[in-house]
Amino acid sequence: MACQISLEKLSKTYRVTERSAGAAAAFHSLFHRTYKEVHAVRDISFTLDEGEVVGFLGPNGAGKTTTLKMLAGLLHPSAGTAQVLGHTPWRREHAYLRQISLVMGNRNQLLWDIPAMDSFLVNQAVYRIPEAEFRRTVDELVELLDLSELLRKPVRNLSLGERMKCELAASLLHSPRVLFLDEPTLGVDLTMQGRIRAFVAEHNRRTGATVLLTSHYMADVTALCKRVIVIHHGTMLFDGGLDDLAQRIAPYKLVKIDVESPEAAARAAVFGNVVEVDGVRVTLQTPKAEAAATVGRLLAELPVVDLTVEDPPIEQVIGQVFAAEAGETPQAC
Amino acid sequence: MLTYWWQVYRANLRASWAMMAQYRMVVLIWALWGFVGPLVSLAVWTATASARGGPVGQGGASFSTADFAAYFLLFMIYGHITMSWDVFEFAYRVRSGSLSPKLLRPLHPIHEDAASNIGFKLFTTTLLIPIWAAIYLMLRPSPPTSYWWIPASLPSLALAAVMRYVLQYVLAILSFWTTRIDAVNQLYFTLDSFLSGRVAPLALLPGGMAAAAQATPFRYMGSFPVEVALGKLTPQQVLTGMAVQIVWLAAALLLLRWAWRAGVRQYSAAGA
Repeated sequence: MACQISLEKLSKTYRVTERSAGAAAAFHSLFHRTYKEVHAVRDISFTLDEGEVVGFLGPNGAGKTTTLKMLAGLLHPSAGTAQVLGHTPWRREHAYLRQISLVMGNRNQLLWDIPAMDSFLVNQAVYRIPEAEFRRTVDELVELLDLSELLRKPVRNLSLGERMKCELAASLLHSPRVLFLDEPTLGVDLTMQGRIRAFVAEHNRRTGATVLLTSHYMADVTALCKRVIVIHHGTMLFDGGLDDLAQRIAPYKLVKIDVESPEAAARAAVFGNVVEVDGVRVTLQTPKAEAAATVGRLLAELPVVDLTVEDPPIEQVIGQVFAAEAGETPQAC
Repeated sequence: MLTYWWQVYRANLRASWAMMAQYRMVVLIWALWGFVGPLVSLAVWTATASARGGPVGQGGASFSTADFAAYFLLFMIYGHITMSWDVFEFAYRVRSGSLSPKLLRPLHPIHEDAASNIGFKLFTTTLLIPIWAAIYLMLRPSPPTSYWWIPASLPSLALAAVMRYVLQYVLAILSFWTTRIDAVNQLYFTLDSFLSGRVAPLALLPGGMAAAAQATPFRYMGSFPVEVALGKLTPQQVLTGMAVQIVWLAAALLLLRWAWRAGVRQYSAAGA
């Protein structure tokens, strides 16, 4: 598959003014300004192939949105290079902008006071979408996102979730080959999150669009992405399969047992690291290599009623990554 | 290519009308706000002419009460057609970050804004025509030397409208560098009020100010088409004035192009 997105040592440093609180500091800052450099993104390199759906993960302030904005052409990098669909994004050539979309969960492109359909018609003209293709795409989007009741209402009267569905639809009318999704399910309820996820997956399957997605909801990532890129303090920590992330960062299993009595539960600590005790239910953490032996000992030495062995939840794995400082994680790429 | 621009402007015009229809009263109040300046000036100068018991000024530059009425009524109408308010809107977009989605489109945001400006004028002009007619009947202004001067003034009016729009957009673009553009705009508005002829016909200004008015673009965005419509200029002066308008417009477009590129670079360096 052809490489559609390629970044090489991309960096972004902001220069921000800094001053202490209070009137004296405010007066002083009139004559003498102090600047501070904030390294939002440092030397990021990765590539994405055509049709890939990749999760871009990191805590708040990690540099995810800055990277997405650079790739969409909104920000000039301080250093490094990037090519998306053969274009340098920050040149903002119209031929490039016609082929991409950036959906930001906290920004609107729809005109606020009028129905979303009016914004769709403006997009049809701006993106030069032929009438037949426009009608077909709108019909598809209405069906997939269940928009029929929403398109005639003023955007300001829609709920957050409804608005996000309309924002997504508006961003896809011109069938972008690359889609940047920045927190597309932000503030949306669980049902709507599920719908949006299913829609993005279906859209990727139908059109083969490349998707780079940031989200705080791990369910978004596990449902859509086989590959994830993890960024923290502007530095890339991991680039690989979602399964690999758990394997490398958290090489342990969770053994959950139900025993006959609380006394038996109290004795479980000798078999591994106890993560949680809830009455007669105990969750133990054990190294992957020792999982089989631990299960054997548990069954032999405790009155076990029920037993399951699981991989740690991805939220826990990611949390572990974020808790560690850049460069100190078990697996940096 | 022409079809593309027609479709883009038509779609944006429709959207702007749909938005205005949502806020009809606010739009009408905004349109009526344009009456205030010329009406106040008219009242002051009419009172001055009455107090003197005759025309104000000397020779060909003298204005009777009916001349003032004609001048300020036309200034009111032409001022409505050339008005622009993008500074406030644009500064808000830069401050709030709502400019970013517009920068993601393969279209310069000025086209969406210009379509909205045209939409506002088409929408409100139909509402204002009866009001202008009523003012005409009440004031009984002096007629132009020939009514042919009114259609003859339309090219200079169109140039004045585009000039004002482009220069206001350049001013709006300064929001990329300062988030408090209001003070700069206030200074611009004050200069414009005096030097465009909104406060007084330029022929009545003291020598230094009248010369400054000739040397700046303000006259060519304000009183020039009004002077043409009233038949106060010779054909030679009209053609020379329009040539000056074209030169100012070309300079404003070059400035717009440079300011936009530098501004977007600034915006995208600071964090869009």
